[in-house]
Amino acid sequence: MLYDIFIDPFVQMYEMPDFFLQVLWEGFVAGILYALIALGFVLIFKASGVFNFAQGIMVVFAGLTLVGLNENGVPAYLALALTIAAMGILAYGVERVVMRPLVNQPDIILLMATIGLTYFLIGFGEFVFGGEPKQMITEELGLPTGSTAIEFGERGLVILQHIDIAAAVIAVLMVAALGIFFNKTRIGRALRAVADDHQAALSVGISLNQIWAIVWFAAGLVALATGIMWGARSDVSFALEIVAFKALPVLILGGFTSIPGAIVGGLIIGFGEKIGELYWGGLVGGGIESWLAYIIALIFLLFRPQGLFGERIIERV
Amino acid sequence: MFYREAGQFKTSYKADQALMPILQDRVGLLVILAVAFVVIPVFANDFFLTSIMIPFLVFSLAAIGLNVLTGFCGQLSLGTGAFMGVGAYAAYKLTSIFPDANVILMVLLSGVFSAAIGAVFGLPSLRIKGLYLAVTTLAAQFFLEWCFIRIPWLYNYNASGAIEIPHREAFGVVVSGAEATPIVRYFIVLGITALIAYLMANVLRGRIGRSWMMIRDMDIAAELMGIRPLQTKLMAFAVSSYICGVAGAMMVFFWLNAAEPSSYSISLSFQILFMVILGGLGSLSGAFMGAAFIWILPVFLKFIPGTIGINVAAETVEHITFMIVGALIIFFLIVEPHGFARLWQIAKQKLRVWPFPY
Amino acid sequence: MNAFATDMTAEPDGVPETAHSEELLRVDNVSLSFGGVKAITDISFDILKGEIRAIIGPNGAGKTSMLNVINGFYHPQEGTITWRGKERRKMKPYEAASQGIARTFQNVALFKGMTTLDNIMSGRSLKMHRNFFWQVIWRGPAEREEIEHRRKVEDIIDFLEIQAIRKTPVGRLPYGLQKRVELGRALAMEPDLLLLDEPMAGMNLEEKEDMSRFILDVNQEFGTTIALIEHDMGVVMDLSDRVVVLDYGKKIADGPPEEVQANQNVIDAYLGVSH
Repeated sequence: MLYDIFIDPFVQMYEMPDFFLQVLWEGFVAGILYALIALGFVLIFKASGVFNFAQGIMVVFAGLTLVGLNENGVPAYLALALTIAAMGILAYGVERVVMRPLVNQPDIILLMATIGLTYFLIGFGEFVFGGEPKQMITEELGLPTGSTAIEFGERGLVILQHIDIAAAVIAVLMVAALGIFFNKTRIGRALRAVADDHQAALSVGISLNQIWAIVWFAAGLVALATGIMWGARSDVSFALEIVAFKALPVLILGGFTSIPGAIVGGLIIGFGEKIGELYWGGLVGGGIESWLAYIIALIFLLFRPQGLFGERIIERV
Repeated sequence: MFYREAGQFKTSYKADQALMPILQDRVGLLVILAVAFVVIPVFANDFFLTSIMIPFLVFSLAAIGLNVLTGFCGQLSLGTGAFMGVGAYAAYKLTSIFPDANVILMVLLSGVFSAAIGAVFGLPSLRIKGLYLAVTTLAAQFFLEWCFIRIPWLYNYNASGAIEIPHREAFGVVVSGAEATPIVRYFIVLGITALIAYLMANVLRGRIGRSWMMIRDMDIAAELMGIRPLQTKLMAFAVSSYICGVAGAMMVFFWLNAAEPSSYSISLSFQILFMVILGGLGSLSGAFMGAAFIWILPVFLKFIPGTIGINVAAETVEHITFMIVGALIIFFLIVEPHGFARLWQIAKQKLRVWPFPY
Repeated sequence: MNAFATDMTAEPDGVPETAHSEELLRVDNVSLSFGGVKAITDISFDILKGEIRAIIGPNGAGKTSMLNVINGFYHPQEGTITWRGKERRKMKPYEAASQGIARTFQNVALFKGMTTLDNIMSGRSLKMHRNFFWQVIWRGPAEREEIEHRRKVEDIIDFLEIQAIRKTPVGRLPYGLQKRVELGRALAMEPDLLLLDEPMAGMNLEEKEDMSRFILDVNQEFGTTIALIEHDMGVVMDLSDRVVVLDYGKKIADGPPEEVQANQNVIDAYLGVSH
């Protein structure tokens, strides 16, 4: 028993390095996608202190809109443009209808409001596009398909899906773009000011409403990218919503306001989950992927309650 | 005009700290109890009892349970569904092992198991606060759900993977299983819910309830006044999980007759959380109001198209129900973030000065 | 520990001067730092039983940190604290509370969701013992206990003249009243040592006078030892028996008000000197 837990998995890793590398790659890709979802959370949390539960459903919604439009005869790139526009309208609507009236309410109320938004978007999405899973229009969008096998001489081979590589590249580009946007532009500076203190930001003439709309739009774009990537790997369905919960442990590891934190947290969870499932999951009957992420985050939290990148909390009275 | 406490003087602290110091409130409660115990059983049909009243009461009890933890002790929990599931599976195992024991007793006992498990998952709350604590309860939710699927012993190795409630009698009547009549189930659920609600009202107005609220409102100050944070929080977790566990057991024993792991999924957790928030955090009567709103509204919406003669597919109705519920949640949060309980208070305040508000 | 209950009926003329010689608490060579920042450096002083001890100093001098050390919220890296003649080990805040140290806060730390009555009742938590079982039943022991403590709390409410706001949620009260409720909550604990962190901050003259009177009454009628932080020098000089002055985490003076007032270091610290 002890052998199964402490030794056997590592022996396997050594003996079948190709399988281990494959697992690492899977973990890496899953991690990137978690990180992308978490990124959407971070954007909104940074600017408004709202824990946006609807980010998961926004991913689905963006994917659905894109595919749904294409199914109805809209060319792929036009559909993409229209979807971006739709995310813009959604962002404006959320700011106008949800955020603005709820300014200064306690966190839990805002959290609830985004869960209400989740319900609404689920109903709306299913109402317009139907509830059944859809195929992502990967090829139409000009995204790579197929896979490359990398051989290791005698020791086997690792298969890399092209779409996964594209996902990684796009994620990196997006993070870089957001980093520049946050740190180098005027709006980015206003955004950080709002994140620090709403009232102080207002007092120096920053429009909260405008900033929030921008942030929700940015989160919408991130959601769209995530939706495309995720949809290309499996399909576009509301089952994705449950995956969005994984963003919470990711955020807890990385900190709610740190963009690099989201990436690192996502990768830790992605690697940890895949390795845990494939090497240890079998011992308890499998399927531990559903909760392992939370346990990993929990253990981290017990030792570092402030998250990986957070500053040490000094309590004051 | 009618709701006025003028002239009702309290001559003792005992009378002043009664649960309902105002006469009109006491009368109101008596009326509600009379309706619940007499009018509804006499006039309601089976459909009304099974589809509306029983689930409403079960959810109210679960909402009270979550309210203890989130509303009174300030610890956000997203694992209510799983704690309810623990109660259900525990009661199921208990009644399988002791087939002759009174099943109502087993249901009440099942809460002890969920209380223990709730307390274990409450342990990290000493170090983890706020939203961060949500990850603990999410871990509980997904881990326990996984247990319900992966441990066949829990569902007696049933091929379907579900628990099916056996035929049980208590006090000479069939109380569970397919043959139990709705009216019997209704009385059991009503009795347990009313009893626990009353007992919790007692706890909440005394020392223990105050210590929970102290932790909720300002944990540091509470600690500096001699409250032990860990003990107090763990007690809230345990009591809350006990109540949720009993609610979960009642849900399958006296309402659904059978349950799968997915019956106690994260969406149930959210449903209960909605009831608590919309009803009003930190209000027992709010728990009932929230449960009524979240449960009864969708049932009601389902019947609207048929009644006004429009033929719509059932799916579409469900989708629209989702939209409406979501929109209404946002609407009510905007109108009154403190929930129905506060709206009711404001209404009472208005009644007090009606019809001459100035 | 039951000072409040017994002293309610005790002689009202104040505590005899002799009581001022017994040492209630002393801190020796206490240093506290956060990371690299030194909040308190090598501070020693004592608090005598029955006195009003003021701790003053410019902003950031480490006064609040000092109170936090005394009631166990922060743990100093160096130095010892002696409480009633016994050296105190590292303790949790709730242990300090159960040994008879109560406190109010610089930024009011009331329980916002509760009424004035409940807030003050919460101060009785340590003195109420009926367990969960009795609480659930309510009728009988739990109810009797509640009423018994309610009586004490009503005495405090009368003393502080806040009868009218008994059932008002404290979040809705004006700042001055909140401070008063907070004092009431600390008094409900019947402490031996009462720590007041800027009890008069943000008050107008009239409210300050009221508060000063309450503090003096508490000290003289109930014999409660008080350590207070205050910026209003008039108040400090009038109320306190002895004053300790901190600056940049160091003690620069200690003694009766008149002496401290004349101390050159203190004048420099407050007015600033050219270095």
